[in-house]
Amino acid sequence: LIDVLTEYWPEFRSGFWVTVRLVVAAFAVAMVVGTLVAALRIAPSKWLQRLGGIYVEVFRNLPLLVLLFISFAGLRRSGVDINAWTAGIASLGLYTAAYVAEVLRSGVFSVGKGQIEASLSLGFTYAATLRRIVLPQAFRTVISPLGSLTIAMIKNSAIIGVSLLALGDLLKQARIVQARTFETNATFFWAAVGYLILTGLATLAVRALERRYAIRR
Amino acid sequence: MQVSRWLGVALVAGAFAFAGCGDDEEEPAGGGGAESTPAQQAEQFPADSTLGKIQSKGEITIGVKFDVPPFGFQNPQTNEVEGFDVEMGKAVAEKLGVEPKFIEAISDNRIPFLQDGTADLILSTMTINEERVGQINFSDPYFIARGRVLVKEDSDITGVADLAGKNVCTALGSTYEANLKEQAPEAKLKLVDSYSECLELIQNGSVDAVSTDDVILTGMIIQDDTLKLVGEELTQEPYGAGIKKGETEMTEFVNGVFKELKDSGKWNELFDTWIGKYTGQQGEPPTITVEEAVELVKQN
Repeated sequence: LIDVLTEYWPEFRSGFWVTVRLVVAAFAVAMVVGTLVAALRIAPSKWLQRLGGIYVEVFRNLPLLVLLFISFAGLRRSGVDINAWTAGIASLGLYTAAYVAEVLRSGVFSVGKGQIEASLSLGFTYAATLRRIVLPQAFRTVISPLGSLTIAMIKNSAIIGVSLLALGDLLKQARIVQARTFETNATFFWAAVGYLILTGLATLAVRALERRYAIRR
Repeated sequence: MQVSRWLGVALVAGAFAFAGCGDDEEEPAGGGGAESTPAQQAEQFPADSTLGKIQSKGEITIGVKFDVPPFGFQNPQTNEVEGFDVEMGKAVAEKLGVEPKFIEAISDNRIPFLQDGTADLILSTMTINEERVGQINFSDPYFIARGRVLVKEDSDITGVADLAGKNVCTALGSTYEANLKEQAPEAKLKLVDSYSECLELIQNGSVDAVSTDDVILTGMIIQDDTLKLVGEELTQEPYGAGIKKGETEMTEFVNGVFKELKDSGKWNELFDTWIGKYTGQQGEPPTITVEEAVELVKQN
């Protein structure tokens, strides 16, 4: 079992780092875009809300694999010189952003309407209400669902490795090793360990954040 | 809200239409059993032997490529698989007096298919090499392909030496992964599941070259004549039919069928139909054994 790992360590290592880079970059995209879209969805304008709604409906309702095909093969065919990294990070990030936006929105809505009315009537601006009253409370409720989303995103990243993008992520490298050694069980065992390390770290981070922001009851 | 919901629906519908362009790989392409009615004179094998079991089932499952013209590819009009490998498979089935059932076997899954019994026989442009001989049985070579490099017509790549620093596509689990690492160590390999993906990648410009067997590349040129072959041949690739490890009787049977095809001139006929027509080449049936094929590949 261990032989496969030691003999093909360069492959596993490079695959692991490709997955780490994909996941970290996609996480950043998902959080930034997700927050912007959530802001649109709770904005005081009907049109901005609709814009955010369209984003969520489009990116949440398309399979990730279809997004990957459109963003890579589709755009390249229409003359956009997008590379596999950009297409992979953008697809995974924008796809996850739709879910992030929904989680953030529900987090904001978990803050009682009375508090917002009170804040506005006390003379806080809309932005200040959001920043000082709503978001700190919303943040606490969204930690756990955002953690689940991050873990789902780490696992979804494996789709990039089997798609047309041909990026050498952990799953792809494991499949290359498997094709060379025919050691199917050992190879995918180590690939699973690699993903468990990443999802495990995400779980620990979520736990730590939850503890830090827990309300003492 | 209503508007955005409809937009979402429309986009999903569009995505379906998009996906519909690919070939329907689930459809088992029941290879034209029509003209090859089970031969009455088929030799009967003992019921407990592998060949006997295939005969009592009345069907032999053969793994072929579905996207590699002119060896195994789905005819878009009839949805049936056709090609040189498919003809080889039909000949084996006919000799056994059973119907051939063709399933798709890509480079990466064809050996597992034999090991787990999903397929009885693999005819999917599979090069005989030492590593694989340890995993499965091979028939005598029924075809020898040559490794080449395919580029776009306006490319400045003139051979394998120019591949350094370029993106080169080949199939995961194929012999070219190792060959290219040796002959063009500086090339950036893009490994995909099937050669149709390599064709997509070179057409959309995300790879600069595709390297694999000349006949597979010729199939791509048939589909897209803005592509061309360059350079010397990199390798020799003797194709063998794959059979489960240890099935000596079946291996000998398949060898017998191939020998008959080669001796009777039927092989040349099939070569002209499927390959010579496009390349203008004359083909001669290979006469080497599996051991010689392994040696030939080692020299690559």
